[in-house]
Amino acid sequence: MTEILARRTLRQPALPEAIEVVHSELDAVWEDAPFVPELDRMTFATAVIEAASNVIQHSVPETARPVEIEVDIVVTAGSLEARVSAFGAANPGALEASSAMPDAGAESGRGLALIDALVTTVSFRRENGTNTWTLTKSRLED
Amino acid sequence: MDLSYEVKDHYAEITAEGRLNMVSAPKLRDMVAEVVAAGTNRIVVNLQETSFMDSSGLGALIGCLKAARQAGGDLRIAQVQPQVQMVLGLTSIDKVLMSYPTAAEAFAND
Repeated sequence: MTEILARRTLRQPALPEAIEVVHSELDAVWEDAPFVPELDRMTFATAVIEAASNVIQHSVPETARPVEIEVDIVVTAGSLEARVSAFGAANPGALEASSAMPDAGAESGRGLALIDALVTTVSFRRENGTNTWTLTKSRLED
Repeated sequence: MDLSYEVKDHYAEITAEGRLNMVSAPKLRDMVAEVVAAGTNRIVVNLQETSFMDSSGLGALIGCLKAARQAGGDLRIAQVQPQVQMVLGLTSIDKVLMSYPTAAEAFAND
């Protein structure tokens, strides 16, 4: 079992304001894990914000209940991991398929390509009406 | 994010302090539209105090670049910090959005 060295979790309505809370929680996790190198913080935080923004902007409620976002950030000795979940959201289906970088003139559509470029692995799982993206980044040697 | 602008002799400088993300990106678009509507089509966005930019922020910068060019001018960026530079590089937008060490240098030669 890999030891968890720092962890932060938030869950709240999937509204734009939630993004600022994700930023705060990322800052807090770095305070608890000061040994994580700056470059890893920068790349991982960017990927997590992209994934959370994606949930907030594109999740469609499955019922009358609004979608809630949960972000769970875990630091272990060898990796950074974030689970970004959309509770009560419809299955995003094929919407999530494209992660190619669009042309320079495009004003949207880069989020998934950026996530791919920034972390080591990205996986998606739908379970009990919840969509979860798991981002993992292997840490650089200190 | 705090946004403000100042009209200089031959360009307008927008200062963006904080995080350029899905919350603040529409505000940047609005400010550039306001500057262009007021008659200035050469715009420098000073990113010295922009600690973070995501793809929404990047999309806004591209939209603002188009707006400035459609008005016959240009939009350039200055004092780019490491995280913003990383996003510009990974998306290859650093090839279309010209970056300068200082705001004053952005339109110094034209």
